[in-house]
Amino acid sequence: MIELTGITKVLKGQSEPRTILDGVDLSVAAGQSVAIVGRSGSGKSTLLSVIGLFDRPDQGRYVLAGQDISRVPERRAAKLRSSHFGFVFQRFFLLKHLTAAQNVAMALVNGQGWLPRRERRARVMQALDQVGIAHLAKNRPAKMSGGEQQRVAIARALVRNPQVLLADEPTGALDTETGTLVIDALLGATERGCALILVTHDRDHAARMGRIHDLVDGVLTERVRA
Amino acid sequence: MMRLSGRFRSSLIIGIQGIRARKLRTLLSMVSLFLGVLAVVVVQAGASIAERALLSDLELTYGYDGTRTIGMPPEQKAADAVLTSVKGRTDAVAGISMQGIIGEPGVRPVNEGGAPIGQDWGGGQVCFADGHCEEPSGPKGAAVEVRLTALTGDIRQFRPFRTVSGTWLDFTTVPSMAPRLVLNQEAAKGFRQYQVPAEMRVRGTTANLTPRFVGVVDDGGTEPRAYVRVDELATWMPPGKLVDPNTAGEINVMLRPGSPVEQVLTAKIKAAGLETYVNDVNNREQQEDQLRLMRLVFFSMAGLVLLIGVAGILNVGLATVGERVEEFALRRAVGTPRSLLAGIVLAETLLTGLLTAAAAIGASALALKAATTLAGNTHPILDNVQFPWEAGVAGIIAGIVAGILGGFVPALRAAGIPIATVMRA
Ligand SMILES: Nc1ncnc2c1ncn2[C@@H]1O[C@H](COP(=O)(O)OP(=O)(O)OP(=O)(O)O)[C@@H](O)[C@H]1O
Ligand SMILES: [Mg+2]
Repeated sequence: MIELTGITKVLKGQSEPRTILDGVDLSVAAGQSVAIVGRSGSGKSTLLSVIGLFDRPDQGRYVLAGQDISRVPERRAAKLRSSHFGFVFQRFFLLKHLTAAQNVAMALVNGQGWLPRRERRARVMQALDQVGIAHLAKNRPAKMSGGEQQRVAIARALVRNPQVLLADEPTGALDTETGTLVIDALLGATERGCALILVTHDRDHAARMGRIHDLVDGVLTERVRA
Repeated sequence: MMRLSGRFRSSLIIGIQGIRARKLRTLLSMVSLFLGVLAVVVVQAGASIAERALLSDLELTYGYDGTRTIGMPPEQKAADAVLTSVKGRTDAVAGISMQGIIGEPGVRPVNEGGAPIGQDWGGGQVCFADGHCEEPSGPKGAAVEVRLTALTGDIRQFRPFRTVSGTWLDFTTVPSMAPRLVLNQEAAKGFRQYQVPAEMRVRGTTANLTPRFVGVVDDGGTEPRAYVRVDELATWMPPGKLVDPNTAGEINVMLRPGSPVEQVLTAKIKAAGLETYVNDVNNREQQEDQLRLMRLVFFSMAGLVLLIGVAGILNVGLATVGERVEEFALRRAVGTPRSLLAGIVLAETLLTGLLTAAAAIGASALALKAATTLAGNTHPILDNVQFPWEAGVAGIIAGIVAGILGGFVPALRAAGIPIATVMRA
């Protein structure tokens, strides 16, 4: 599904350019789950933003589902983000003036294709159901716990049936028990063929992934399990 | 097509969600913009109403646009030519004007010289058929001097006289022996104030007439006038004595464009050795000149107020975008194109502008309604005035312009927010 070869990202800083990602190779197939671990500032979020097409690599090749998208223009990138990716962040980024269902529907009402209201509603309810909070559809974020809010965010990431799920420390703001529920929800998506890339500081969560990669000063290496 | 409608619907949904989430903000933007849009609406309404009033006054006085008028010296030969060529035509009407004094015999009229009632122009010499004139003598009494216009047909096809009371002259009946008279408002005012007996002196008539007053019209004039059928007046005149060669005399013909009467008439007048003065009525052009500068001044003032309102929207818009940085970054992350984000911000300010326009238009329409019902009787200019559609259009345009001007910069800001914001927040 995803094929990264020699991805390099250089930040043109104030004094001298800094290499954040240094020849990263990574390959993730459909249904696989990968943990990326590393110290703060090692470039994990930067790697996810390259994979999620928030940003383009300075060097290297990025192939998504057989297409080279290393230099894709923004207009097409937006379309691909909508059709291929789902995102979950450490902070939940729910819009507080919208209900849980409306927050999930936000990923459908994004100007990329149009679904009739009935189908939108069905998809939203299905996504909320997948993460086990269909009963909270009409609640606003202020009335939900952190774990519930993060699961709304996961439903938002899943509602378009993405092929790749990118999660940047999704449990960082949650206690262990709630975090486990969130990881359950993410892993549930891989059973339906979605690839999962999880950035985490939590050993236990990382251990539940199919593979673990270490990112050290922009260099990615796969950890060999004992 | 599908893609466009999807974007449009998406921006509509998101825009309405945004406005509902920030009702107070929207209201504040509207307040800041309200005066500006109101100013534009009021100026345009004022201009339209004034223009319409001016135009209808000009039409009353000079005739509809496109009417051709031919003037000529008040000579008997001219009158004869006019009467023979215009009589019985529906596409031309002639008016022969002369001095008439209505009231008690032997007294000077209260308004010598045909002045508006209450004004004194002095003079008031009365001349007779044999050419001798009398200086005004004797006491002023219950008599009013009018300009008496004898008409060959219904002049209202050219000048839309408004009937104030009674009826207008009927040109279809057999001429009456007692001439029927229609007064204009100024003449009627004189009659009301001075209680004149209904006897009329017209130079050249064989006897004093006893006219019948059948109605009062608004003819746009400020001097007292009376209108009569030329055939009813002629009954009392010796043949060939219709015109008044002194100052009060006047012969005018009004024609539909392209009327064949013109050629015949001018030929006859020329043959009589007289000159004609041809003029085409073009009120609109004339009043454009009058109104242009006034409109420019008022619209620049309104524009300035509007600009202040735009600054208000801009201010609120920028602050709102600043608060929504995360929302916009997130929307980009889920695939919303930058153009749509800009569109959403613009749609919100546009909607605000349109709502403000609706409020301003509603407010001024209501104010006008109140003014016409309260002051319509005392101020004729306000009587029966409708809210001009031009003012509505101007208000909507002002709202749209303000929405675009005020939303443009915030929209660009929104489109430029980097997605990575969601990872660093
Ligand atoms: N926009 C930016 N401007 C300057 N430096 C940046 C920018 N974005 C990232 N960096 C730098 O790049 C490096 C990698 O950042 P990144 O956010 O990828 O780290 P991370 O591994 O996700 O860290 P954390 O675990 O704390 O989230 C950091 O040293 C950061 O300071
Ligand atoms: Mg990070």
